[in-house]
Amino acid sequence: MIRTFFKALAVVAFLACTLTVTVRAQKGSATTKSAGSDPGEQAFRHNCGRCHNAPESLSPREVKAVVRQMRVRAMLTQKDEQLILKYLAP
Amino acid sequence: MRRLRVLGRRLSLFVLLLLTAPALCAQSDTPILSGALAFLGSSTGGANSYQPLLEPVLSVPIGDHWLIEGRAEIQGFIARENFTSGPYTGQFFASFDYGQLDYIANAHLTVSVGRYLTPFNIYNERFPVWIANLEDTPIIYPIGTRTSGSSNGGMVRGVAVSRDKYVVNYTAYFSAGTTAENLQAGRSVGGRAGIFLPLAGVEVGASYQRLLQNGHYNNAGAYLVWQPPQIPLDVRAEYAHSPGGQGYWLEAAYKLGKSRDTDTWLSRLQPVARVQQFFKGTPTPGDLLPAHDVNQYDFGLNYYLPHYVRLNASYGRQFTTGGNANIWNFGITYRFLFPAWPGGHQ
Repeated sequence: MIRTFFKALAVVAFLACTLTVTVRAQKGSATTKSAGSDPGEQAFRHNCGRCHNAPESLSPREVKAVVRQMRVRAMLTQKDEQLILKYLAP
Repeated sequence: MRRLRVLGRRLSLFVLLLLTAPALCAQSDTPILSGALAFLGSSTGGANSYQPLLEPVLSVPIGDHWLIEGRAEIQGFIARENFTSGPYTGQFFASFDYGQLDYIANAHLTVSVGRYLTPFNIYNERFPVWIANLEDTPIIYPIGTRTSGSSNGGMVRGVAVSRDKYVVNYTAYFSAGTTAENLQAGRSVGGRAGIFLPLAGVEVGASYQRLLQNGHYNNAGAYLVWQPPQIPLDVRAEYAHSPGGQGYWLEAAYKLGKSRDTDTWLSRLQPVARVQQFFKGTPTPGDLLPAHDVNQYDFGLNYYLPHYVRLNASYGRQFTTGGNANIWNFGITYRFLFPAWPGGHQ
């Protein structure tokens, strides 16, 4: 009984999420900030944002080591590495 | 006593690496020390445990092509002597998760040697404690990560093809079997390939591994990451198969904001749900997989405070033929990052 309840709850939760996605996506980017405004920001979102939030702050001294590490770990392209470097330490 | 000596040696090595890093990169870039400090609590079927955890990560870029990186883990485990009764006792463990030298040969190839995180599916490499949305690792985590989640040997990886609409990445590796304390690794060979579609925010991929010990067998897996660009929803899933069993997990996390840019007290709240199923196969020695089929449902709530502090709590219900259980988790995680040496390039 409890198992059935949890299965039903999980399905409902997943459907609710999917519905939210669909509705929000249909509203489109008119209500949200475009992710394509800055190529560096876009590269950051596409690559780094897949796993973690944007850093609150990074000093220019720290940025290169962080991005180099992500170049290897997240398999950034050379172009994306340069864009993200410029975005994080303009 | 022996464990303390080993721990001392590992820490000395780590500190030595830390101290020599500035000399190595004196003409280059500042090394950084990052990682996480966490305190995790768990109650599984009435058995309470507490785990203080420190995971320092050292990254030393050298010139335009080289990187030295390493991560250690110092973890405590405090629990009752007889699981649900008796006095609390604690033990501390230290391990060396990875320590690798990376050479970025060109736009498509990076060569890594040393000890590295085994790149089977994505959970092991991408979701350390300060990034994972839920505290517990998935049930299928042991598949493809034997014996320790780390491998000792060589790895090549990179981006095979990069276009505006898609990016194809790959990883291939060989690991030697190692039984030395804190440096354990399975003898294996394997690879992973994935394709990322930036416009849709979708990444899918597959992994394969041949374990060249304990009977020689194959592990295979697949993964999915989906982040719709318009809303702060993260969907992650993995499937893995081994002779010892197969299963999957599917996780959705949603920050309560209108977009990924929104920063309000409410948008820092992140409900999470995860569904897992595991189907037992033919047990193989030391596979660390459950002894029975398992269904598990987890519901969690994360709150992201300023200054990289995160609070998390979750409830899960596990159903097995061996007995059902409630799983409660809570934790606080602090993510730190600072230059490992004063001065350097500004």
